[in-house]
Amino acid sequence: MSVLLESSSTSATMRRNFWAGVWRVMKRKPSRMVGVVLILGFVFMGVFGPMFYPAQLDRDPNAITRPPSWEHWLGTDDQGRDVIALVVTGSRYVLLAALVTAVITVVVGAGIGLFSGFKRGRWDNVLMRLTDMKLTIPGLPLLLVLSTVWKFSSAVQMGLVLGLLSWGGVARAVRSQTLSLRERGFIEAARGLGLSTTHIVSKELLPSMAPYIAMNMLIAVTGGVYAQVGLFFLGVLPYESNNWGQMLNTAVFRSGALTVPSALGFLIGPLLAILLLTLAIVLVVDAMDEIFNPRLREE
Amino acid sequence: MKRLAAVVALLGLATATAACSGGSTNKSSGSGGGGGGLFTTIDVNRPGIDASGPANPWAPKGNSFIGYNAMKLGWVKNHLTDPNQFYPGIAASWEIAPDNSSVTIHIQPNAKWSDGKPVTAEDVKLSLGLASTTGSTAFAITPGAAGVAADVQVVDDKTVKVSQDMKNPSMKFARGVMDNWVVPAHVWSSLLPADFWDKLKASRSTGAEADKDREEILAIGQKVLAFAPPKDVSAGPFTLERVNPGEALLVKNKNFYNAAQVAPAQVKFLNYSGNEQIWNYLSAGKLDHSGFVAAPTDVMTRIKNAPGSQLIKGFSPVAVGLAFNQAKKPYDNVHVRRGLAYLIDRDQVTKVASPEGGIAAVTTSGIHQKPAQEWLGSELSTLEPYKHDVAKAEAEFKQAGLQKKNGKWTLADGTPWKFSMHAPAGFSDWISAQENIKSQLIENGVDAEVVTVADYPVYLEEIAAGKYDAGFWLMALGPAPYDIFQRLYGASNGWTNVAGKVAHSAPGKGGNWMGSAEEIDVQGVGKVNPGELTAKLNAATADQAKPIMLQLAKTANQDLPAIQLWDYVNTQFTNTSRFTGWPEQDSDLLRLPAGVWIQLGLIKAKQ
Repeated sequence: MSVLLESSSTSATMRRNFWAGVWRVMKRKPSRMVGVVLILGFVFMGVFGPMFYPAQLDRDPNAITRPPSWEHWLGTDDQGRDVIALVVTGSRYVLLAALVTAVITVVVGAGIGLFSGFKRGRWDNVLMRLTDMKLTIPGLPLLLVLSTVWKFSSAVQMGLVLGLLSWGGVARAVRSQTLSLRERGFIEAARGLGLSTTHIVSKELLPSMAPYIAMNMLIAVTGGVYAQVGLFFLGVLPYESNNWGQMLNTAVFRSGALTVPSALGFLIGPLLAILLLTLAIVLVVDAMDEIFNPRLREE
Repeated sequence: MKRLAAVVALLGLATATAACSGGSTNKSSGSGGGGGGLFTTIDVNRPGIDASGPANPWAPKGNSFIGYNAMKLGWVKNHLTDPNQFYPGIAASWEIAPDNSSVTIHIQPNAKWSDGKPVTAEDVKLSLGLASTTGSTAFAITPGAAGVAADVQVVDDKTVKVSQDMKNPSMKFARGVMDNWVVPAHVWSSLLPADFWDKLKASRSTGAEADKDREEILAIGQKVLAFAPPKDVSAGPFTLERVNPGEALLVKNKNFYNAAQVAPAQVKFLNYSGNEQIWNYLSAGKLDHSGFVAAPTDVMTRIKNAPGSQLIKGFSPVAVGLAFNQAKKPYDNVHVRRGLAYLIDRDQVTKVASPEGGIAAVTTSGIHQKPAQEWLGSELSTLEPYKHDVAKAEAEFKQAGLQKKNGKWTLADGTPWKFSMHAPAGFSDWISAQENIKSQLIENGVDAEVVTVADYPVYLEEIAAGKYDAGFWLMALGPAPYDIFQRLYGASNGWTNVAGKVAHSAPGKGGNWMGSAEEIDVQGVGKVNPGELTAKLNAATADQAKPIMLQLAKTANQDLPAIQLWDYVNTQFTNTSRFTGWPEQDSDLLRLPAGVWIQLGLIKAKQ
């Protein structure tokens, strides 16, 4: 009993030390705090933002594509709707799809990479050939073809397809890391003790890889946002007004945002949202890098 | 939207018709007018210059530019009501037999090809033969097709007589003949076999032998489409000098019969891949001329502010409507269609979608507003205007048995109703319009959505397969009466006119996606079969057509197979900095490419 108490107290101390370390790392550069705040802001915007607006946004046919004003800080769109309202209501689809993309990318990529790198041999061959095949599939042309048959009306569908198209790189990278880790003493010891593959992969390898995977996940979120916004911007996906990519498409191709300054706010709205989201993720990844890599800590 | 502009233009040109009129002779000499420099323009009908495209007017991606280096016998005016009015092209004049049985074409006496050889009747005959291998209208090879040229006869070196097959005549015959390319026989003759004309005659009958002949002719047609002349030999005002992916350069043809009146020494077609590129060209004052390109108000203002910029407007023989698929519930119920017509504020839709290129339809008659006055006279004002009226819409919906629950309309059985509208991606004005309609409907309790489709061919394919509740549909394609109504009461609504016999397919079959009732009881008219009435217009004279047009307008107004949203306005962009002499506002020349204006001697270099 005393042994148990001792071990739980040790892990609690470790946790305390970890969070204290996190706080130190965050404090060192205030920009990292900004990143976290921005991410929390985007999460809030995606989850609760649309609830602040009516399902049908107010429009004004007499104020189509207006420049920024006190009433509409980023102007109006081609139906006379407020651009900020569109950015907020359009965030849910974009962020949810990006999250699904990131989760699938990381779960599939890391799973295959870990298993393949640890098992080596025949499994490695099969899974890596599969990964190579996946990497050779050109994502954009495939999506263009898919968009003719699939309407992508839900964000989950969108994220699913993007995720299934983007796990290859993560799988390759995780496998390389695993190959290096599996030669370390603690893994050899685990193997020597006859522990099961599942145990070694999930309890020994995965925790060591977790920081790397977590960072990949955040980066995959930006990848997911770029991919879907790009597709909507190109106009190859079925029309959905509440989406940043569709807003960019409408601003450029329907409202002449690149020709006349009055439509510039319509273009800037979604661009600003994408820029801030990317910035937030970069700042948080910077912090994570230091948290999980002790050598980078300037103790 | 330029894609839509292209479709509108092509459909406009394709609306062949007939009647009777005489041509005028274009004198080959004239006082000055030359001395101009470079004329810069774009081809709105065809985005993307294909540097490898041949100088072949039949090639879909060829570098033949209508009116510049691609010449037709005559240039159709698309007059409000008379489809058989033309400006001279290769033909200096023409006579149409009073019974429409033939058209006699007199070639410009001084017409020469750019290599110096004269344009002869043999060139015209060969060109009409080539048209038969790819063609339609007067040169269709379908047995029994209406308005087909039965015989092409060379009368003398400068005269050709084309006779109509009077078993199934069409008012559109002369137009079908005149609206054809002319190419030099000494470059193109190798494409037609020696026995071609016998084969063509035989192909128009029925039986296995005729089937074989038709197949052979269609195979020649493929060769015609792909033919690449080693050098551009044109009888037009310009010839193609060089082309690269960025632009096509044409130079003046000194042998053109009216060369003295052709002002520009060179013409440059700039490449573009989207409307915004054209907006930038226009606002920078780079283009001397551009056909209609949809532009938002602010962009239009910027274009207008460019030095020398000018907008010329005129009649465009086409309208756009929201057409229903009556095979789907609840659109089979006329009260639902009428309710929607009352709910949609067409003025607002047009203001948002096409402020410069359209005028909100005053009513929904199936005819463009301008010719409607000519065809219907005072009766036009008796049609129901379907002014925006929420109370009337509610009354119509209630009459259709729809229910309103918590402010939302549901189907009669209480199940949710979602009104789904489709539009092809890139048709910016259609999408803007649908988005506006969607908002208007949702505000009044009708759940609605807008779905875009990959591109226009896919849109046409899916709409024909009956996949949509409703879709935007070009209609009122004047000036031929038959063409005006065939978009509402033709093949897409079940009525096919083969060899003069009208057959009706059930909804969902034979391309019938609109699914109107075969017979409709129209107030003040009685029971009418709109498809049969429309088919009658094919051979009717203008006087015979008038009462039929009225019956059909009343039918369309009462039964609403489509809600006519706005009538297109022909909007042309010109720049007076380098050239003057542009067509006047409302000129029928606006419905023809600027190359035709130039060859007719309108455009002058600015002194």
